[in-house]
Amino acid sequence: MNAAIQIAVDAMSLGGLYALTALGIGLIFSVMRLANFAHAELVTCAAYALFALSGQPLVMAFSGAIVVAVALAVVTERIAFRPLRRADPTTMMIASFTVSMLIQKLLVFTLGSRPKSLDPVPMLSQAVSIGPTQVSLLKLVTIAVCAVLLLALTLFLKRTSFGLQMRAAAENFTMAQLTGVRANAVIVVAFALSGGLAAVVALLFAAQSGFVQPRLGVPLMITAFVATVIGGMGSLPGAVIGGLLVGVVTTLLQAYLPPDLRPFREAFLFALVILALLVRPNGLFPARGLKERI
Amino acid sequence: MRYSVSMLASVVTSLLLAAAPASSETVKFGLVMSYSGWFQPIDGSTIDGAMLAVKEINAKGGVLGQQIEVVSFDNKSEPLLGADGALDVIGKGAKAILFPSDFDFGAPGAFVAQQNGVLSFSGASDPKWGVAGIGNLAYSMSNASQAQGALLAEWAFETQGWKTAYVLLDNTIFYTKSLCGSFATRWKQLAGDAGLLGEDTFLNSDPSIDAQVSRINGLETKPEVIMVCSYAPGGPSALRQIRAAGLDQPIVSGESMDGDYWAGTVPNLSDFYVVTYGSFYGDDSDPAIADFFKRYEAEYGKRADVSYGLRGYSAVQAWATAAERAGSVEPAAVAAVLDTFKDEPLAIGPTTFTPELHISTTRPITLVQAQDGKFSAVGKATVREFSLD
Repeated sequence: MNAAIQIAVDAMSLGGLYALTALGIGLIFSVMRLANFAHAELVTCAAYALFALSGQPLVMAFSGAIVVAVALAVVTERIAFRPLRRADPTTMMIASFTVSMLIQKLLVFTLGSRPKSLDPVPMLSQAVSIGPTQVSLLKLVTIAVCAVLLLALTLFLKRTSFGLQMRAAAENFTMAQLTGVRANAVIVVAFALSGGLAAVVALLFAAQSGFVQPRLGVPLMITAFVATVIGGMGSLPGAVIGGLLVGVVTTLLQAYLPPDLRPFREAFLFALVILALLVRPNGLFPARGLKERI
Repeated sequence: MRYSVSMLASVVTSLLLAAAPASSETVKFGLVMSYSGWFQPIDGSTIDGAMLAVKEINAKGGVLGQQIEVVSFDNKSEPLLGADGALDVIGKGAKAILFPSDFDFGAPGAFVAQQNGVLSFSGASDPKWGVAGIGNLAYSMSNASQAQGALLAEWAFETQGWKTAYVLLDNTIFYTKSLCGSFATRWKQLAGDAGLLGEDTFLNSDPSIDAQVSRINGLETKPEVIMVCSYAPGGPSALRQIRAAGLDQPIVSGESMDGDYWAGTVPNLSDFYVVTYGSFYGDDSDPAIADFFKRYEAEYGKRADVSYGLRGYSAVQAWATAAERAGSVEPAAVAAVLDTFKDEPLAIGPTTFTPELHISTTRPITLVQAQDGKFSAVGKATVREFSLD
């Protein structure tokens, strides 16, 4: 019972972090078929903003992180991705790699590659008891924040006119444009939302890891990208469920694999991913607009 | 025909003679290191230490009356570029080269140096940096990782009196694997198999080690000490997550967690013990090491934040000492003297090499602790039993 609560909390908090990252990637993919690898740098730069604003009240530091991530997302869209909007998805993906590498190297160049310590929300670094079980407060907060954000985003997509436009664009971009959806606005809002999500991920992740360095967002981004593929590229519920699933499976593998096999945790994880894709090549929740048309 | 060959020979001879005076003015020492990129924070102070040694030795008249000239190459934190770097500095006349402080990072260049008959030094803590892994011209200034692991086990069990341990291994690099491996082996010899309550692994880039921490938290009997084999940034982050989960046991760690530059990651860190080459917090019991860090601070205008500068300094010092004694800077002659080093008093401490083993094992090593976020020296310790396998 004790162990079960702990594993459930571990799995949900890690899954939540992946889900928020996957959602940021999925938002962009759904409206413009761009697998944005530079999403990692949105997280990284937001974390650097938190570092720069260390010592300021949390509200200020977090607002700064949001401003930085949203601005960076919108600027990369304008400079790097808008000119390529009619290009092949592969071309856009390569462009996103370029943006990602450029920002990483700029960070190394200007701020150095040595990790910098930060502690954005010191009060979260403590253990709380659920019955006899000790869990870190941060994990509970992570789970709560993920739940609230997912709910808010769902309401935004379902209840607002902009949400409707985004869903229409995700389903069939050309058709949506023909019916009067403003393509540029939808895409810019998608990038801004993705930047906002990245800032939240940066705050939660920095509070957990306690440092920032130029490659901070990369491992998160890679796992979250796998999650969007499992969930179904272009499907937002798919991205969320994929993220949760990867977090849960990783935690369970780490918890229950025998010690000799634990170093090969990733091999088991990716074997499961391959299996999932063999059974459902388009992911668990294929996006309707994405099917190959002959 | 014969006439032209002899003419050619005389031209070549005169060219060589003409070149000779120029090359006899200085003797070249190569630095093929990570001046940039993600490995730079690790190599940076090693480079600073080596440059300080060159400056001080030159001020005293150099090596065999020749000034040391440094020829450098930036491998940009790309291990394979080290091979290009080795060729580059050998082409410029380097007789010995200092490579990055990790076997995987330094080896590509060191193999090239070995093939060209040039000495290769490193701060790698892997005994493969020597005869077995690279060749008879490779020397490491570190204490072998296996000796560090065994020493930590002996110190924790015998000096501190902790009876149960848990091993948490960052399974990313060779150093951490052999460190934790030898700790576990030595711990079981001392405390019995039952004294090791468990072993677990993580990766440096893992976003979270929640599951690993929960496993420790779920143990019936909590360990009295946790051995963490990792390096920044994943290592400090692991400490943070261990402490955040309410585990406040003492934590011990190897030289890759040296330094206080990451201390902000784990605010108010207490009961943390790490092996280093010397305490740069102004309290090392060895006056020579304390003095080294004073000179380092005076030279670079900032206090050292890792002890690795001692390794860079000692590499140049070892080479210069051996060359003086050999009366030659030719690599084979210098190596022959290095192989006879017996408790040679280098900056890093008494250093012994044998024709078979080109890394220290029993050199006393400094233990540093963190209490309430403040680092200070605990003392020196020497390993008694270990295995290099």
